[in-house]
Amino acid sequence: MVFEKLIATLDNYWVAQGCHLSYPYEIEMGAGTMSPDTFLRSLGPEPWRVAYVQPSRRPTDGRYGENPYRLQRYFQYQVLIKPSPDDIQEVYLGSLTVLGIELQDHDIRFVEDDWEAPTLGATGVGWEVWLDGMEITQFTYFQQVGGIPCKPVSVELTYGPERLAMYLQDVDDYRELMWSDDITYGELRYQEEQQFSEYNFDTADVQMLQQLFEMYEREAKATIRAELPLPAYDYVLKCSHAFNLLDSRGAVSVTERHEMILRIRDLARQVAELYLAQREELGFPLLQV
Amino acid sequence: MSADLLYEIGVEEIPANAVLPALEQLEAGISQALADCRLEAASISTYGTPRRLALIAEGIPERQPDSVGEYKGPPAQSAFDEQGNPTPAAEGFARSRGVAVSELEIRETEKGRFVFVQVKRPGQPAAEVIPPLLRQVTLELTFPKTMRWGDRDIEFARPLRWLVALLDDQVLDLEIAGVRADRISRGHRVMGEKMVEISSSSAYLAQLAANGVVADHREREKMIVEQANRLAEEVGGHPRIDSGILTEVNFLVEHPTCIRGSFAPRYLELPAEVLVSVLEGHQKAFPVENPAGELMAEFIAVTNAAAGAADVVRQGWERVVVPRLDDAEFYYQHDTRQALVSRLESLKRVTFLKGMGNLYEKTQRLAKLVDWLHGEIGLADEAMRTTAQRAATLCKCDLVTMMVGDSKLAALQGIIGGLYARASGEPEPVAEAVAEHYRPQGPEESIPTSPAGQLLSMADKIDNLAACFRLELIPTGSAAPPALRRQAAGIVEVIVGAEYSLRLSRLIHYALELLPLPANEKTLSLEQAATELQEFFAGRVQAAWEQRGISYDICRAVLGVPWDDIVDATRRAMCLADLKQADPEAFTELVVAGERPARITRPESLPDTLKVDTSLFEHPTETLLLAELTAAQQKVQAALSDEEPDYPAAGEALRSLLTPIHQYFEDVMVMVDDERLRLNRLALLSQIDQLFSRLADFLQIVPPVS
Repeated sequence: MVFEKLIATLDNYWVAQGCHLSYPYEIEMGAGTMSPDTFLRSLGPEPWRVAYVQPSRRPTDGRYGENPYRLQRYFQYQVLIKPSPDDIQEVYLGSLTVLGIELQDHDIRFVEDDWEAPTLGATGVGWEVWLDGMEITQFTYFQQVGGIPCKPVSVELTYGPERLAMYLQDVDDYRELMWSDDITYGELRYQEEQQFSEYNFDTADVQMLQQLFEMYEREAKATIRAELPLPAYDYVLKCSHAFNLLDSRGAVSVTERHEMILRIRDLARQVAELYLAQREELGFPLLQV
Repeated sequence: MSADLLYEIGVEEIPANAVLPALEQLEAGISQALADCRLEAASISTYGTPRRLALIAEGIPERQPDSVGEYKGPPAQSAFDEQGNPTPAAEGFARSRGVAVSELEIRETEKGRFVFVQVKRPGQPAAEVIPPLLRQVTLELTFPKTMRWGDRDIEFARPLRWLVALLDDQVLDLEIAGVRADRISRGHRVMGEKMVEISSSSAYLAQLAANGVVADHREREKMIVEQANRLAEEVGGHPRIDSGILTEVNFLVEHPTCIRGSFAPRYLELPAEVLVSVLEGHQKAFPVENPAGELMAEFIAVTNAAAGAADVVRQGWERVVVPRLDDAEFYYQHDTRQALVSRLESLKRVTFLKGMGNLYEKTQRLAKLVDWLHGEIGLADEAMRTTAQRAATLCKCDLVTMMVGDSKLAALQGIIGGLYARASGEPEPVAEAVAEHYRPQGPEESIPTSPAGQLLSMADKIDNLAACFRLELIPTGSAAPPALRRQAAGIVEVIVGAEYSLRLSRLIHYALELLPLPANEKTLSLEQAATELQEFFAGRVQAAWEQRGISYDICRAVLGVPWDDIVDATRRAMCLADLKQADPEAFTELVVAGERPARITRPESLPDTLKVDTSLFEHPTETLLLAELTAAQQKVQAALSDEEPDYPAAGEALRSLLTPIHQYFEDVMVMVDDERLRLNRLALLSQIDQLFSRLADFLQIVPPVS
């Protein structure tokens, strides 16, 4: 199954399960969880069912394009459902079946893996799903987001589509993955991995990034004061990415790391509280739908 | 007539390490609850998989036995008037117990005459009594971590999805977390039917087995070991099964099928520790060894798949294991490109504890500490001093390598440092000391074998403890975190195991003085920290002794007199324990001899300067006791002056004082009114008490009943 077909199959499957399709959020982020479609929408009592692809940037994971499994920019296929349905495990396993994975031919396991995103003040409980020993999905029941307890609880499914596709296509290098019938992942993205790895590790301007971090933080605070949590959240995401780049340049000491994570978390918490308060003022409109 | 109970809690996969503790709680809770309701079961067994906690209780009475309750009412005087007619008090009491006034009786008690009534309570059917018990025990199960799901408020290890509750063939009326109990269980996710209708508790295991679930975890463990052995034998090896990994994988599967995978032999060039860690830590697989004990390019994984899927599954596993080995190989090559010592600079950027500087500074302290320890213990080997100092400098460098930075390989800290020290051309003893300086990390792990490793182990741990106590990061006493207790226990084990005589209080002070002045305000003063830390150690010393079979009272007795030299204190504790074991009579005599002088002199808070004045003696027994005491003092002195003190000989000398002490108390009245005489007599007894205190505080010992 080619990469684009895998995405389309998951889209169709989750739409059939009542999710609406969303699109990638256009600010750099480390994971699909950080998209407002998950981070903000998991807050409060309003029901929510969404599926989307989120390109994810993790500068320190770059390997100059040469490691067959590691990329500094890759995709996450994200599903968020609130409240978590009682049969969600079976529904999830159904998504593997439509991808052509005959469950009885494989070793499927739910291996404990509790999840935590310190910069988002978020924690969850769940598993890594193993397919023949390989982690293919992170399966999480959110317990807390932005420091706020989740009620009801959302369930988040995060697929690694590259891993799944490599498995389904039986290739051992991301570059050999067929993206479509006539072009490979490598042909599309190898050069990008090379250049971004070099930029992330070797050339990014540390001083500029430090200034950007400070500026983004100031702007986030000002925007929170203006009671505009949605735009403020954009600047929280920008802070986070600036921090990740500083990290990949080796410019963050352990103490600084802790301190910067706390600063970002504090912003995320304020955005979450403000967003939730405003939804409440609006009478939680999606409860009416 | 009796009935059998089947109770199965169906869950989404709960963490492997939570299953056994939950089963133990379930068994204990239900067994207790049944007994409390007079429905004791003849036998109880439990079964656990990742998706189910199950219990079968056989031989439960079908009904509770009838019982009679007796209740005390008001005093007879106020319950009946002079004519013997009931008053409102009697009527009210009868009503509250649901009986007629005529059933009340009057009985004499120690406090006078009271109204009593006996109420017959018919036993309830087990089917009605048991459901609330199951519910309560289930909700009271504790897990390392709990969660909420959906829009429910209940917390459990993972979402609760089904319940089977059968008494014989009858479904019990029970609901928990919106789930109603039924007779429908679930089969294996891919090898069985989704719904399995359970007919009775006796059919439970067989019906699940027919649906791909081996519910009995003991049975699964046997299957895993048997299959792993067979697969390894096929390639002429045997599996290296870590018991922790075995338990973990056992509770990750409902039907174990082992597969054997292999990898390219070149990965065998990786250090064995790394290879094993990759297989066990990342993939929870068993390494395979050849008959010579060397690792082979094979591994055994425990899967939850059907046997027919083995080929596909094996390929999948190999595809996962190889990149992990690749990572490790990459780390190793990358890390060893630079000398270990060159990483010292990076340690400056790693905080040790907030307010206690960075790791580079810590290694500088460690170098000073091992140097100090070398001198303090009086070790002769000067080359070892240099080795320990070098190892101290290098021992934290591996924390900033890629290998240890990989969270799944982080447990290799120290070991990796040793490997990299060797690869960097450091002398072998330095590499060895670095490798073993975290040991012992628990009661099962032995202390470092090399003297330099032993010094460094103590230095590292005392520095951690001193910093945490100075920063007041730890609640003291039994609430102290296990990690801190292990650190102190580790030091005690090294001191006792290597017989390093030194004064603990001096080590504590020196370690505290080396620390930077903490910047934040909430700290203990150096003296407070030293006192609390010393107290903390007393608990660890006692635990170490109790582990060696020394009784609680002997521990307290030895810790009741100065125990700063733990080696010496341990010898005293062992000597008393041995004597108690070998010659209980002699032990009792020693204790009795020691406690009488202590009992009479200690409450008097005598001045230290008090001397015995023989001119004040009135009885010959006084002269005799002084002579015996002097002789005993000389014997004790002789026995304890050697490098290896002879505590049994000292104990024998003390015991010889028993008769003169007894005689003394027969003949001499100590607490006389004449103060000079009284103080003089107390002075003599006080000297005896001091001599006994060279061994222990005998007041703390509970003499064995002879």
